[in-house]
Amino acid sequence: MTVRRHAGGVRALAAALAATLVAGCATLAPPKPWEKGELAKPSMQFDYNANSQRYTEHVYDSKEKAGGGVGVGGGGCGCN
Amino acid sequence: MRPLWAAALALPGILPAAAVAQSVPDQGIFTLSYLDYRDWQPGADRMTVRSPSFYVLAPFAEKWTVQGSVVYDQMSGASPLWFNTLSGASGEGVHDYRTAGDVKVTRYYDRYAIGIGGAYSHERDYISRAASLDVRWWTADRNTTLAFGFGGSADYIHPTDRNLNDGNRETYDYLIGITQNLSPVDIVQSNVTYNDGRGYYSDPYKPLDTRPERRRILAWLTRYNHAFVEQNATLRLGYRFLNDSFGGTSNAFDIAWVQTLPQGWTLTPSYRYYTQGAADFYMNPPYPSGYVRGGYYSADTRLAAFGAMTFGLRADYDLTQGWSLYLSADYYRQDPSWRAFGEGSPGILTFSARWFAAGVNKTF
Amino acid sequence: MNMSRTLVFVVIAAVWLAFGAPAVAATAGAAAPAFTLDDAAGKPVSLAALRGKVVVVDFWASWCGPCRQAFPWMNALQQKYAGKGLVIVAVNVDKKRSDADRFLAQVPAQFTTVFDPDGKTPAAFDVRGMPTTYLVDGSGKIVLVEEGFREETRDAMEARIRALLGT
Repeated sequence: MTVRRHAGGVRALAAALAATLVAGCATLAPPKPWEKGELAKPSMQFDYNANSQRYTEHVYDSKEKAGGGVGVGGGGCGCN
Repeated sequence: MRPLWAAALALPGILPAAAVAQSVPDQGIFTLSYLDYRDWQPGADRMTVRSPSFYVLAPFAEKWTVQGSVVYDQMSGASPLWFNTLSGASGEGVHDYRTAGDVKVTRYYDRYAIGIGGAYSHERDYISRAASLDVRWWTADRNTTLAFGFGGSADYIHPTDRNLNDGNRETYDYLIGITQNLSPVDIVQSNVTYNDGRGYYSDPYKPLDTRPERRRILAWLTRYNHAFVEQNATLRLGYRFLNDSFGGTSNAFDIAWVQTLPQGWTLTPSYRYYTQGAADFYMNPPYPSGYVRGGYYSADTRLAAFGAMTFGLRADYDLTQGWSLYLSADYYRQDPSWRAFGEGSPGILTFSARWFAAGVNKTF
Repeated sequence: MNMSRTLVFVVIAAVWLAFGAPAVAATAGAAAPAFTLDDAAGKPVSLAALRGKVVVVDFWASWCGPCRQAFPWMNALQQKYAGKGLVIVAVNVDKKRSDADRFLAQVPAQFTTVFDPDGKTPAAFDVRGMPTTYLVDGSGKIVLVEEGFREETRDAMEARIRALLGT
């Protein structure tokens, strides 16, 4: 039962991930290298305020059933 | 009395948590911060945690960065009701500490970066060691980044009560993620993590608490940031779906508004809604109803069905020469009646917590 | 076998042309796209007017870390070679002029700075990353393109400048 539930979950996730990607690329134009000023701002990074994010995740991890899932960065100014 | 605070043992650093973008940052940063945490339930004494921590990230030799952190948690107070009524520790004060540290080194290449990390956490009755490896690869236009991560951890539990048995646990984490610049003002990230653990998951301090020896957690996290150029603000959204082999799914949705103000101020209000289903072997009170000899059983309300909300506010203030200060306050509350997609578990009390954090940052 | 090799070559070339080849890239050997942009004082600066000189065209932005690192190096180039016929034109691509001005207050430029908030010039040059530096010879032809700011690139650029200036 557990295995079946996981398999279903994976399929749903993969489909949703693909849909997000396709929708994103089809309707919006990714920025040119000189158009990344807003994306370079600290508040646009996924690791913004990483330090207090860690505290908060730590609280949730210890008070809720299961935690985790916070991933990596990426993006930014795309400078060399 | 460890499981209160560090329970899930999701060590910072076990997975690539705070990776930077596609190039070596041109500045280093260090942060010194302090957390003051307190929680309470109706009729129960409070639990407090005080944690100073230090974080540093430094670029070196043009193509490398090193980052590391240390944290010291000092816990005191009594356990929540559901906890100490079973353990016989009722009325006794709980005093414990945790020291933890992690370090990560990243090497940047033109089109990819590789990071290797290690983490260590120590409590009186719990030791955890973890290592991680991650690779990020980006397209030539640097608008798409793919990430792959692998982590492993080995935990050792040796209860302070000598009548209880020691336990071991090994877990492996796998991550695959994509980050996409959608437009000059939109960025989205989606990560799937899979955590596979074998070993001791039961709570040694709770009689009858018997959990499966294997646990698999699948989490899907999607985050989206949008810049409002005219307003000088950023909208940050996140959604996490999590499936746990212990039974029940959880959903977390969070939103934050980062408002840049004149004179170097930034104000960030935030909100989070969370809901979880109960574990298959969680049994409602009264204790020990539902217990079957030889079967799985837990009365730990963290495994119950409930909803939770967090309200947060953070203020940042930029000083000169790369110094900045921050202060944040969060209020958190769990309530079985806030559960979505089903009924909350009956007979459990609301649980509340608040935490303040303050810190100083310096870029160099 | 020969034919299959040709076929493979054709397929690779087609794929390269379809996906990899820049439209009208400002690569080494091509003529530098013309531009006329205002400097800090509002005075127009035209690349065509600099014909006969060795010109460094640098694309930069306030939000770009490596661009910041490149400024002291370009100041040094200006000091060493301006008297020998080198002109440095740094094209700012910030959308907001105030961001560029704040940057310049922190990192003063001793060379010519012009402003292109609409991004027409970097589009014409088909800039692939920030910063990108183009070395343009006296005939208006691009002789070297360096993406990013690294030790290797700055040494290579300076060597070519010296060669063009004959010093």
